[in-house]
Amino acid sequence: MRMKKAFKPLMAIAMSAVMLTATACSSETASTGGNEKDENGKYKDKLTISVAQTTEVKDGVLDNEFHKYWMDKFNIEWDYNYIQWDSWAEKLRLWINSGDLPDVASWNYVHGDFMNYVDQGLLYKFPDDWKERWPNVAAAYKETGLGDKLEELTGGTYILPKPVYYENKPADPLVNQIGVIAMRKDWAEAVGFELKDAYTTSEIMKYAELVKEKDPGKLGSKLIPISYNADDALTNIIMANSEHSRVESAYYKGEDGKFHWGPADPETLTGLKLMQKAYKEGLLDPEFYTWKNNEGSNNFKVKGVAAVTSLGGLASYRQDMDKAMKTNLGVNSDELVHTAIVLGDDGKYRNLEQPNFWSSLIFSPDISKEKFERIMDLIDYSTSKEGQLLLNMGFEGKDWKYGENNELVSLLPEGTSLEDKYPARFEGLYVLGDDFSMINPAIKKDYRETAVKHFQNKAKLGTEGGKLATYDWDVQLYDSKPKSQATFEYQNEYANLILQSGDLETNWKKWVQSKQSLVQPVLDELNSKFAN
Amino acid sequence: MKPAALGPDKKLSGRLGTGAWYKEIWKHRMTYTLLIPGLIWLILFAYLPMGGLSLAFKDYKASEGILGSPWVGFENFKYVFRDPNFIDAVWRTLYINIIKLVIMFPVPILLALALNELRMRKTKKWFQTIFTFPQFLSWIIVSGIVINVLSYDGLVNSALQLLGLPTINFLGSEEMFLPMLIITDIWKSAGWGAIIFLAAISGIDQDQYESSQIDGASRMQQIFKITLPNILPTVSVMFILNVGGIMSAGFDQIFNLANAATQNVSQVLDVYIYRVTFQSSTDFSFSTAVSLFRSLVNMFLLLGANKVAKLMGGDGLFR
Repeated sequence: MRMKKAFKPLMAIAMSAVMLTATACSSETASTGGNEKDENGKYKDKLTISVAQTTEVKDGVLDNEFHKYWMDKFNIEWDYNYIQWDSWAEKLRLWINSGDLPDVASWNYVHGDFMNYVDQGLLYKFPDDWKERWPNVAAAYKETGLGDKLEELTGGTYILPKPVYYENKPADPLVNQIGVIAMRKDWAEAVGFELKDAYTTSEIMKYAELVKEKDPGKLGSKLIPISYNADDALTNIIMANSEHSRVESAYYKGEDGKFHWGPADPETLTGLKLMQKAYKEGLLDPEFYTWKNNEGSNNFKVKGVAAVTSLGGLASYRQDMDKAMKTNLGVNSDELVHTAIVLGDDGKYRNLEQPNFWSSLIFSPDISKEKFERIMDLIDYSTSKEGQLLLNMGFEGKDWKYGENNELVSLLPEGTSLEDKYPARFEGLYVLGDDFSMINPAIKKDYRETAVKHFQNKAKLGTEGGKLATYDWDVQLYDSKPKSQATFEYQNEYANLILQSGDLETNWKKWVQSKQSLVQPVLDELNSKFAN
Repeated sequence: MKPAALGPDKKLSGRLGTGAWYKEIWKHRMTYTLLIPGLIWLILFAYLPMGGLSLAFKDYKASEGILGSPWVGFENFKYVFRDPNFIDAVWRTLYINIIKLVIMFPVPILLALALNELRMRKTKKWFQTIFTFPQFLSWIIVSGIVINVLSYDGLVNSALQLLGLPTINFLGSEEMFLPMLIITDIWKSAGWGAIIFLAAISGIDQDQYESSQIDGASRMQQIFKITLPNILPTVSVMFILNVGGIMSAGFDQIFNLANAATQNVSQVLDVYIYRVTFQSSTDFSFSTAVSLFRSLVNMFLLLGANKVAKLMGGDGLFR
């Protein structure tokens, strides 16, 4: 009897443990089904597809007409996983490594990780004939350049790098969209500062000084002459003077055929000196280095207290700024905003040659053949002209129409965007929105033309006497432990350098020296493998 | 304070013999049964994960798992010690946490003594709630408050401006970073820490106080002659535990309060591990090597503190 009594709690614990284990180990039953179609060309079987994206889909949004159209057309049900921007890299890394990757996910491609994942079988390998079966995807994929390079390394396709431009490339060579600033046109006129398409870093600082001195906006101590966060300052002050100062191009092959580390170049010191000058003269905010995400641009477009901010070169960014200024400040930004590109103090244009991809699509290694094919069918359609129009303009006849000259005409009421009507259109899984933004009538024609003008100026100035950091496939696709270890957050390193007391040049030299134990092994490796 | 002899104490088993020892266990079977969930938890979440430490000596491949990944000896440590940021992070962690320990450790004791001296129950509870509440705020919230209060357009600098005084760069000052860590940590955790000491104080035999009152002892004399000596074993255990966690303390706080201006004084070992694990290319073996190193240092510090406590006449954590 006593034995029985003692046994009871033990049994209860054991049973609980078994139940817990059983619950933890059970997984959702995967949807199975084929891709057969009925007589109307509709897929017979409904598939539940899990997808992970950085677009936030709020409750009830999937019920709107737009999302329903895609779900009906491909007979799918989405199991949507929203990933916050800040935790994107970490979450994907954990999902991939733990084998929990959704069926399809957006992943910010990191070459070292990609090679490891392929090596370990953590990504789905595409069938050999995929390019014939999904020709629209294959055509866009070819435009990225990266896809073919990776196939050479891995012997197959494991990833779809997302093309930035597909049919509407604005310039050749393509230069990174970063390095475009927005400035207050009305204040420039008030302080007698000439409006141009390109300024040197010192000219922008001169403008900021004038605004600070004359305060045309009557803002007093609230005025922020140059509203850059640490990353903006790197882009628009340091990179403008040193094309190899950013992480993307820090290791590069010099004219001597040997590899160098850009942050140690004297041009980087020039950029640092200008940044420090801007800080010491009170042109940058005293706490700019604590700003996260949009705080810098919000001072311009939400609070209206900044004279200069970093914008970027896409027409959609300008449209967003216009909307934000209208909503928050009740002003028409066309009368107040001027955009321009930034030159180095020697008058030369510097930026990064843009590979035509940004981030990627990857598939779970455990995805069923049916699901993979269904997703690829959807992506292929979304990449077609019809799909692109649907994604970016909505439904023909309802949201847009062709005009007399076959141009696209939006039918949305003034002040309504497609995003307002159909929020979170994540179905454009593959081709990035940058491509269509070049021709999208929902974006003001003036903004589109200005964006193209900046791209073309960048290409012209970059190739005619300028200094574009070329995209070196050898370096970019080279992976090793020393290279992974010698990766730094340059924007924070530079901000820290200009904030230190003492002589900047001495501090910079000391900093360069302190990094050598990590940097030199990478240079040695690159020199031994790729130097002339 | 001698712990209750529940385990297979050598003296006990020697005295009783194996059969009698089992009998003794059977006699206390209900107590042992209650121990089982705790033991399972400890095995599952403390001992089994230790197997993962082998990653420090392997080239980890997720597809091959921890056991299947190839051994690489001390290769990962070679890279760890080559990184000057790692060495800096080790010294900085020790520096920050030793200073925090020296300054912060007495605060909960003093707070507990002060609270114990309050005679009105309601007031005592009110103060205790006020001091304990910040513990329940996450460091993200606390850092948000601190940044808003101390920024250039925050509460403090606005007040300074109103008084015609110059503003102070609190957030971007390397010199002020450590004091900021200490002050915010005291604000957040002193009240919580005081609970343990208050519990120890409440366990003191009240006869001692009554006798001392009859002998004419003042309140201060009671504190120094009765309260403090009685809670010394608890103080000693808490001190040893704090020393044992020196190398792994403060990630949330430092990560949320640091910025580019203070990165030279804020990169402690945990921040370094976070950076190498999540911000550059994934390398779990490398970060495990760093973690293992940190755990070893923590262990030696714990053993050292335990030894010192015993040399000073205390009980220590273990024999």
